[in-house]
Amino acid sequence: MSIIETYRPQHTRLLLFQALIAAMLLVLAGGLAYRQIIQYGNYGERERLQNQRRVLVPGPRGNIYDRDNRLLVGNRSRFAVTLFLDELRREFRREYIEVVRHYRESETSGDITRSDRPSPAQFEQIARAQVVQRYLDQINRLLSRDEKVDMRELNRHFQQQLLLPYILLDDLKPEEFARLIEQLPVQSPLQVYTSSTRYYPNGSTAAHVLGYVRTTDEVSGDDMSGEDLKTFAFKGTAGRDGLELQYDPLLQGETGSAIYRVDPAGFRVNPPLEKHAPHQGERLDITLDLDLQVAAEKAIDQFETLKGAAVALDVRTGEVLVLASKPDYDLNEFSPRLSTAAAQKIHETGAWTDLAIAGVYPPGSTFKLITAIAGLRSGLITPDGFTADCEGTMRIGNRTFYCDKSPGGYQRHGIIAFREAIAQSCDIYFYTVGIKIGPEAMAAEARRFHLDQPTGIDLPYEVRRMLIPDPAWKKRVRDEAWFAGDTANMAIGQGDVGVTPMDMACFVASLARGETTTRPTLLHDPHRARQHTEPIGLTPAQFAAIVDGMEGCTINGTAKIFATPTYGIPGLRIAGKTGTAQTTRDGNKINIAWFVCFAPVENPQIAIAVAIEGDTPGESFAGGHYAAPVAQAVLKAWFEKSQHPAASPGSAAAN
Amino acid sequence: MSFKRFDQTKPFITLGIIVLAWLLLPVAVKSFLRVTFFELQAPVQVTASYVRNLQDFWADRTHSKDELIEAARELRHVYAGYEFQAQQTEAQQAEIARLEQLLRLPSNPNFRFEQARVCRRDLSGWWQQLTIRKGSNYDLPVGAPVVYSGGVVGRVREVRAYEADVDLVSSPRLRLAANFENDTHPVSYQGGINPPLAPARGLVEFVPPDIVIYSSAPRRLVTSGLGEFPPGLTIGYVARLETSTDGLFQSGEVSLDPRLTELTEVTVLVPQQPD
Repeated sequence: MSIIETYRPQHTRLLLFQALIAAMLLVLAGGLAYRQIIQYGNYGERERLQNQRRVLVPGPRGNIYDRDNRLLVGNRSRFAVTLFLDELRREFRREYIEVVRHYRESETSGDITRSDRPSPAQFEQIARAQVVQRYLDQINRLLSRDEKVDMRELNRHFQQQLLLPYILLDDLKPEEFARLIEQLPVQSPLQVYTSSTRYYPNGSTAAHVLGYVRTTDEVSGDDMSGEDLKTFAFKGTAGRDGLELQYDPLLQGETGSAIYRVDPAGFRVNPPLEKHAPHQGERLDITLDLDLQVAAEKAIDQFETLKGAAVALDVRTGEVLVLASKPDYDLNEFSPRLSTAAAQKIHETGAWTDLAIAGVYPPGSTFKLITAIAGLRSGLITPDGFTADCEGTMRIGNRTFYCDKSPGGYQRHGIIAFREAIAQSCDIYFYTVGIKIGPEAMAAEARRFHLDQPTGIDLPYEVRRMLIPDPAWKKRVRDEAWFAGDTANMAIGQGDVGVTPMDMACFVASLARGETTTRPTLLHDPHRARQHTEPIGLTPAQFAAIVDGMEGCTINGTAKIFATPTYGIPGLRIAGKTGTAQTTRDGNKINIAWFVCFAPVENPQIAIAVAIEGDTPGESFAGGHYAAPVAQAVLKAWFEKSQHPAASPGSAAAN
Repeated sequence: MSFKRFDQTKPFITLGIIVLAWLLLPVAVKSFLRVTFFELQAPVQVTASYVRNLQDFWADRTHSKDELIEAARELRHVYAGYEFQAQQTEAQQAEIARLEQLLRLPSNPNFRFEQARVCRRDLSGWWQQLTIRKGSNYDLPVGAPVVYSGGVVGRVREVRAYEADVDLVSSPRLRLAANFENDTHPVSYQGGINPPLAPARGLVEFVPPDIVIYSSAPRRLVTSGLGEFPPGLTIGYVARLETSTDGLFQSGEVSLDPRLTELTEVTVLVPQQPD
């Protein structure tokens, strides 16, 4: 008889015991089912969050091209040699044992005491640094360098960015990159890594317009999968000035991502569970004409230490052809990052400021065009019927005002009419007109041309402190009365009047079209329609008289430099107006040379405003001598291109 | 009955013991056994290669005298051409040496040319390699470039006493710094995953966006001279490039010379120390 046959399951106490066991098993099974079926999703999610990591790779920024499709801002490849630390787990462990053994031996031999012994965490750091240094030595041998591991940086990377490759050497030359490509084994933990950085093929050209970027840790990955996972991101870039800032959302590349499973120590397990490649940002076609921009900047540079700005607009569309500001800076110095010394130099030279949109100057005699328009529209003067007697001085209130006072004396124009007064920039004539029509009429006219407002150009940091004063303003702000002398000053663009070169360029473009508003833009559209705004409100004869006066300015007036063989542009009729204004800086009077113009007179296409700051207090600084040559350089380049359109580079640099 | 069962499991137990013994063997012993295996295998392969040469020799003997005379005539033309080129090269080398001496420039590192017969080809999907009939007996170093009349063959991967393994240029384990003919931008070339019997291909990467290639005029990819290979050796031809999604670089397929699969003789460039 076997043992099984003697077993008696009918025993009551045994049945009770079995029922108890069954109940307990049922509870266990229920608990298991609860966790495995009902709580499955919850645990799965917790496992996912614990075991998966997301890596974000920012996409390269979009390129910026000029109106002729020439590259102004692009990306250059940046080569680095990196080490994937997750592939070195075994080496770290072996080195750790070796380092600990070495310290123990040193303790035994009495070379070090127990108190000198590092903590386990320090042992780990030493071991890691030694392993990484061994790999760096391989690179040193291949590239004939002598680089050392930065232990602090390595530890920071290990603790915060373990999933990202550790950069051993950055910004390698193409030859170094090629040497490593050939000599590093394909399966090595050492790999050549490529990223992009901003590249400015024209250096400092249009620096203020293009702007610059800075590296940032904020890389957008909001709309990508794995948003709730712990995320590691490569450094991205963000626009900080100019178009890089203005159109940052457009230029930003589309971020790429990869989701990896990690082991309990946080090391990556290849291959990624999910991967999306980064995409380059949108291209930006801007309105600048590189040839004209270079011509303007070279012309300003000829004055070496002088500051200044030049703006040229397409009269029909308001597209900005030139926006130059000096001093400036080499944009390549910002890439990949601006050094402290370079930043200091920019600060000292005052190159941070874009004088074209942030330099507020009294417009000087260029404002006489506003006075003239206000006078004509008021009906108090006529182009042919109103004259003034310029004896060189004029008593206004209890002050004597001069006509074009300079160290050499002052001008005496005699009996002078409207057209000649504009051409010769006769102050006495415009004092007379100003006093005749009053400050409110001049201010209203200037405001009609929006000279008291920012132009709204698509650039950041355009100033809002331009000013068109009037008696009410003076009373409100300074609690002072308005005097006749203020009116005289205002009539010739002096006193408290303050505008930017961009304001004046818009004004001249509007004048050229016979309208009052020009909205400047830097976004190029080859099919952009002509702007139509409020008409200037002059009769054709009045308008023609102003244009005649402006053309006379470039033929035999204050800008007769255009009639000389050196600066003349045969075949191009130019309507211009010079200006010389004074402003106070650090207690010294500084002159500002102005020149505004449009051309060709018969069919205006380009409008220009130039302002050049003097650097010597009290120096005679006429617009015809300093600002007009800059405008001439731009006009010459424009005229040559318009005469020989096939000579323009076109799409030579098309991507 | 139970004894019979144990008897049946004997082979499995033996296998288990062998596997266990192999796992427990020191690395040095395993390495020694592996090398020994290949070294013992080498004479077999070399002999087979000589037999194939003999076979070719007897096959050649079946040609008629007229055919041989015709072949010799053609060979004379080729030989004359090469003789002329050799003279030119000699004159150019003398000029280079004179200029180096004049300008006190260090002499470029030269190579010793070691011709070697191919004794085995392994062109499977996994391996793209050749075994050549020379090894450390001719002082061939690991990493030495291997070339033929059509350009790059590959790089010496492993050297044994009488033979050496060469990673073919079509192998994904081989990566070279290259550039396009008449261009200086360095680019990366790597062998592709090549299925057997298919035309061999590689991959060119990190090509700057300003390099344009038209499919009607494929461009020659050559060695850059920045690594072990001398500059200007043909790697292959590229007919099309595609821009990466990030717009930084282009990449494309490299068509390799089909003669790579039929090579019988190659030249190993053994680097020599500069003068």
